[in-house]
Amino acid sequence: MRFPSFTPTKETMVALAMLLPSLVFLSAFTYWPILRSFYFSFHDVMLGSDKIYFLGWENYERVLSDALFWKSFRNTAFYTLITIPAAIICALLLAVALDTKIRGVALYRSAFFYPVMIPSVAAGMVWVFLYAPGYGPINAMMETLGLPKLEWLYSSDWALPAIMVMSIWKYSGYFMLILLAALQMVPRDLYEAARLDGVSGWHQLIHITVPLISPTIYFVVIIGVLHSYQIFDYVFVMTQGGPADATNVLTLYIYQNAFQYQDIGFASTVANMLLLFIGGLIAVIASTLGRRVHYLGR
Amino acid sequence: MKPSFLKKYGTHAILLPVSILWVGPLIWILVTSVKTRVEVFDASSGLLPQNFIWDNYPAAMAVAPFATYMANSFLVTGSILICQIITISLAAYAFARLTFPFKNVIFSFFLLQIMFPIYAIFLTNFITVRELGLLNSLPAMVVPFVASGYGTFMLRQAFRQVPTELSDAARLDGCGHLSTLWHVYLPLVRPTLVAFAIISVVTHWNDYMWPLLVTNSESVRTLPIGLGLLAKSDSGADWTRLMAATVIVISPLLLLFIIFQRRFVDSFMHAGLK
Repeated sequence: MRFPSFTPTKETMVALAMLLPSLVFLSAFTYWPILRSFYFSFHDVMLGSDKIYFLGWENYERVLSDALFWKSFRNTAFYTLITIPAAIICALLLAVALDTKIRGVALYRSAFFYPVMIPSVAAGMVWVFLYAPGYGPINAMMETLGLPKLEWLYSSDWALPAIMVMSIWKYSGYFMLILLAALQMVPRDLYEAARLDGVSGWHQLIHITVPLISPTIYFVVIIGVLHSYQIFDYVFVMTQGGPADATNVLTLYIYQNAFQYQDIGFASTVANMLLLFIGGLIAVIASTLGRRVHYLGR
Repeated sequence: MKPSFLKKYGTHAILLPVSILWVGPLIWILVTSVKTRVEVFDASSGLLPQNFIWDNYPAAMAVAPFATYMANSFLVTGSILICQIITISLAAYAFARLTFPFKNVIFSFFLLQIMFPIYAIFLTNFITVRELGLLNSLPAMVVPFVASGYGTFMLRQAFRQVPTELSDAARLDGCGHLSTLWHVYLPLVRPTLVAFAIISVVTHWNDYMWPLLVTNSESVRTLPIGLGLLAKSDSGADWTRLMAATVIVISPLLLLFIIFQRRFVDSFMHAGLK
């Protein structure tokens, strides 16, 4: 008797050899760190010490009763839930406006896309300057418009919204290009028919454009959520989490616990909570938005 | 005739002010980098400088070794890209054209990497890199990014569009898998490769957090880290010098973008279509 399926064919060996480089690095820097972070969260692990003590659920109990954790969690959630939809709506309107054959389309596209190319540190610093309370141009502009001057990054009410405005500026162009690509696949005669039926531009957008590119919108939402943790760079450069932890977010909180308090075990626990939050958010999006995605011809 | 006329200019009427708002920060960087310090803090001095001062550039270069930072940025970004092209081409070919057991399971493990944000695992990756003795070296900034689930996915989609007749013909001519990949597949998916390269270069050239964690000496720092340090040492006061440094840091990618604008945008749009 023979078991042919147990002898690997030559093709299987070739495939394994081709997958090996990727699998080695994925194992070392994606799968292993996830498992290890899970392991660390049940232990007392200090940076720079080889000793590890088992703690059980203690780190998790500490996280859940930690006011600063909840504050960073709320800030992260608030940031994500406002910034990503706002940037996508902004990007969609820009994409629709730029999907027409107007003069200077390339210039417009560049104007909206260039912030994507700028390192987040550089972008963060420029906006610190723009937001400066005394001599910053944004306050000067608000003054000429008759609006009250604000302390922006120095105010615990306005610091996070200020960072959110900047993020919308930075990411809209990226989402815009992806949506623009999808728009160019939409058959033109649909709009022609709608126009002849007297459907207004706004209704065309809501009832024709959005449903037809809904798979791409869905993709952009997922990418946006996964990207929204870039906020670490801005917070680190612009406010260091202040004032009064008004801009502290989960990624910065992990960083502080690991590298300032050297508490790797607790920081890993927070990292797992972050993972749980993102996973939960994506599950919610998949079960609500994902169900409404309309695939052409499928 | 008239409605379309109105529509044409209406679009400009909306887009023009919004795009000026978007370009504002860039203009501010450029203008401030040629101003004097006094002008920066004087709100009544207007947008344009009275005299163009170029001294801020050499001053910024004197504070920190930006040439070293730039060389490091090139080395790190380039190494990541070359490694990624190799790993994703091999893996994508296996997934697109070979049959082997557990193919779908293994593929979903590749996709898993896209779903795990780097910010949730940077901590344990830091420990791994330290254990490997790589801290404060250029390889430390490369190794976590050698494999790419996203790149493998993009390239596999592209490979599957290549007609099998082409590779069958190559195989009949005696080509092995590797030479079929090299001579048939890679040339045919060039647009996808370019798009992936753009995404990869932009991401890693601009990366701040990971290089910040794993480096602590000037000889291995990259441009964003150098800029961040300069900002801290200046404590936000010397804006003219800081903006000159910002121009130095943002210009390589922006120049590339201006030169290859059309191709760049088109490739990026193709990449987004997945």
